Parts: sequence; C-alpha cells; structure tokens
Amino acid sequence: MNANDSPAILIKANREGFTLVPDPSASFEALVAYLEQRLSESRDFFRHADMTLDLRERPLRTDEISRLHGLLVAKGRVRLVEVKLGEDLSLVLDRPSDRRPPPPKPGPAPAAQDSALVIRNTCRSGIRIVSQSDCVILGDVNPGAEVIAVGDIIIFGNLRGVAHAGATGDRSARIWALSIEPNQLRIADIVAVPPRGSKPTPRRFEIAEIQDNTIEVITL
Amino acid sequence: MAGKMIVVTSGKGGVGKTTTVANIGTVLAKKKYSVVMLDADIGLRNLDVVMGLENRIVYNLVDIIEGKCRKQQAMLRDRKLHNLYIIPAAQTREKSAVNPEQMKNLCQELADEFDYVLIDCPAGIEQGFKNAVAGAQTAIVVTTPEVSAIRDADRVIGLLEAGELRDIHLIINRMNHRMVKKGDMMSTEDIISLLAVPLLGVIPESDEVVISTNRGTPLVHDRGSKAGAAFHQIAARLNGEEIALDLEQKVTIMDRVKRFIWS
Repeated sequence: MNANDSPAILIKANREGFTLVPDPSASFEALVAYLEQRLSESRDFFRHADMTLDLRERPLRTDEISRLHGLLVAKGRVRLVEVKLGEDLSLVLDRPSDRRPPPPKPGPAPAAQDSALVIRNTCRSGIRIVSQSDCVILGDVNPGAEVIAVGDIIIFGNLRGVAHAGATGDRSARIWALSIEPNQLRIADIVAVPPRGSKPTPRRFEIAEIQDNTIEVITL
Repeated sequence: MAGKMIVVTSGKGGVGKTTTVANIGTVLAKKKYSVVMLDADIGLRNLDVVMGLENRIVYNLVDIIEGKCRKQQAMLRDRKLHNLYIIPAAQTREKSAVNPEQMKNLCQELADEFDYVLIDCPAGIEQGFKNAVAGAQTAIVVTTPEVSAIRDADRVIGLLEAGELRDIHLIINRMNHRMVKKGDMMSTEDIISLLAVPLLGVIPESDEVVISTNRGTPLVHDRGSKAGAAFHQIAARLNGEEIALDLEQKVTIMDRVKRFIWS
C-alpha cells in the first residue's frame, strides 16, 4: 500500500477527537477502502471518539457522506459529530454540549491542544492511558497496563506493559524509556514482540523507533 | 478506642489469603489483643474450615447485615484463644447480598469493640472485593512468586490506590529460595521492584501449611515451623514492632546448611 506517502484520508487528532480530511485527488472508493482499513487496524483506538469530517477540500455527495458515516459507526464505533462543508458552513450532527471528560488520571490539564499528557504515578495492570498528543509517564508501566499516544511516549521508568506510539499512523513516533522490556510494542501500524530471554540493563535509556519497517530498540 | 481494620486481598485465588488471615489473627490474639476475623467471601466461605470451627456456625455475616441476629450471635470464639473470634460468611448466598456501605458500617462497629478487625477478601475485583475493602484502613496484598499472581496483585494495588486506600503492604507467600537461586523463580527483590509497596514479610513454601489447614489449626500454634515463624514476624510488624527483614540472612542460613551437607 502507498498509504504512508499520501494517505487517502488524513486523520488529525485534537482535543475534541479526530478530524478526517479526505485527499482532494482520491476517488471515493479509495477513501472508503482506506478508511475501512484504518478502522479495522486501530478500532480500539478510535472507539467512542468524536470525529469531524472536513470536506472543504474534497466535497462529497450526501449519499457518500452517509456511507462514510455508516462505516464509522459500524466499524469503528465512532461518533461523527460534525461535517465541515465550507469555511463558514458546517453541519453539526450530534456534538455533545459538554466536552469529552479529561484523561482518566488526575494531573494538570493540557494547556494547549498539543501539549503532552503527564502521568505522575506508576501505571499498574488494568490501567489504560490514551493521549491525543505525546505522553509522559513519571513512573513504571507495569505488565497489563496500556499506554497509547498519538505522538511519542516518554517513560521515566521501566516499560513492561504495552505501549503504542503514533497511534493514528505516525511512523516517525518513538518510545523512550529507562528500560524497555515490554509485552508488546506498537508504533503506528507495526506491532513488535520482543525476543524472549533476558537482555542487558541499559546504562542510560532506550528508544524504540521504526527502521526499515520494523521496530528497533536502541540502547544508550 | 478504635481498632485497626485490615483487609487481606490478592486478586488471584489460591495464593493464601485465608491462611494469612487465620495465622495473623491467631498471632495477634496470642499477643493478648482482641481480634475478630471477618470472612467476606460470601458463597465460598473458607475461614471457618481453616480455623476448624465449621460445625459451630449458626448465624453468619449476611444474617447480621440483614438484622436477623445480633453481632455476638454470629461470632464464633476460637477453640484455644478466648479473645479471637470469627464471623463466617454465608455459604448459600451471593456477594450481592451485601453492599459496601453496610460492610463499612459493620467494620466500624466491630472496630469499636476489638483491637483488630481482619477482613478475608474474596478473589477477584468485583462486588465481593468492593465489599471487603470498603471498611478497611489498611490493606495487605498477598502474592506468590508467579507472574500471574503478581500481575493480579498489581491490578489490585492499582484499584486500592484509586479507592484512596494508600496504606498497602505486601506479603509474598510460598517462596522457594532454592528455586530462586537456580533462577527458576522470581526473587523477592524483583517482585518488590515491580509492585513498589512495602514488604511485610516472606513466607517460605512448606508442606506444614497444607497439613495445618486440613487439620483446622493455624500453623502458628506449632513451634519450630518456619512458615509459622514468618507469620509471627509479619504479625509483629503489622502491630508496629520493629523487626528487620532478614532476606539476606535467610540465604546465608540456607548456605550454611548446604555447606554442612556438602562437607
């Protein structure tokens, strides 16, 4: 697939959820195919998210909009809240009056849209942390915990659970931790399982990133 | 005077919650404190069997909460220690027969009369767990050196912390020092580094535990039992006595025994 160079639909994350911007040159069938693939790849991530469809660049017919809407609801359990048709023209579907609740953990609220989510304690088994941008964790991520971020994940502790950086498809996202010994690593659409057996403890820290379509852990 | 309310929990089943409650309760009672042990595992009661009091049950926890009897009617006195009581769970009811608010009130009332209220929590993290931890100020998390038990302990600690219960202690049960040395079992240090809660004590793996459970007499009545000694130390630490954790020494004693055998 050539989706990584220019995806048929650009998925942008922001505090209210996600914005879908279809590529002006893509055919409608390509849009549907791409969206279907993305939803099936990362269904859990998009679940219950609010989405805005931005059609300022690529207008669609009403039947096409309703087909995309049906796809989002059925496949991704997503709520389409707004369709932007022009600069001043938008169709509000079912945007809730109150914003989505803040991230599950207490902590200072992000000041700007793209400021990182900071978690100031150890993430124990059963905890799921989702950040719409970068995520910083001051503590360990234990087995059974999940950290999912649209951007990078930075852990000042040991990563032993599951981490998913670049969750909306950003392959340049990286995972930083004092020690990376997880159950599973995910960056964008790539999933890696670390080799069995013990490895030397890093002296400083480790970084996981994508190199040639595989996730590499670099020890520093 | 308000007593201490302590819940013993683990997440995973079969790691030794009930044995821990029975032994710690017995040691504290031997130290002349008044102790009541509350079996919160409604539907799967065990504590009465471990204490050997199964045949004396008339009323139970649910009867107290539903107002069918007075607290004193449901309390069973230990066979040896007159200041040790248990309140058995109902075997024919379900966890939903009780709610956290009622448990909290009952624990509060018991704490007014007793020095220690020990609550035996059921396995799992559902209603029964919520009931059991509702009234407690202190939690003891029991785990074994197995990854599955540690994973569940971690989850339970997270839930306790989320529920504003921050006085959490750890007991590692069924530790086999020989297997740790061979690298076949997680060491105490590994477990503590993962769970990050203060350690109350380590109980060595032993057949004596099974035997005492089957006989219905807590292990701590036996003199010269290693696991019993570990429970004595744990109860003393829980009681605020300063007893050093002799993790290192245990290894050296083992070493000495080994050297003795080898020579």
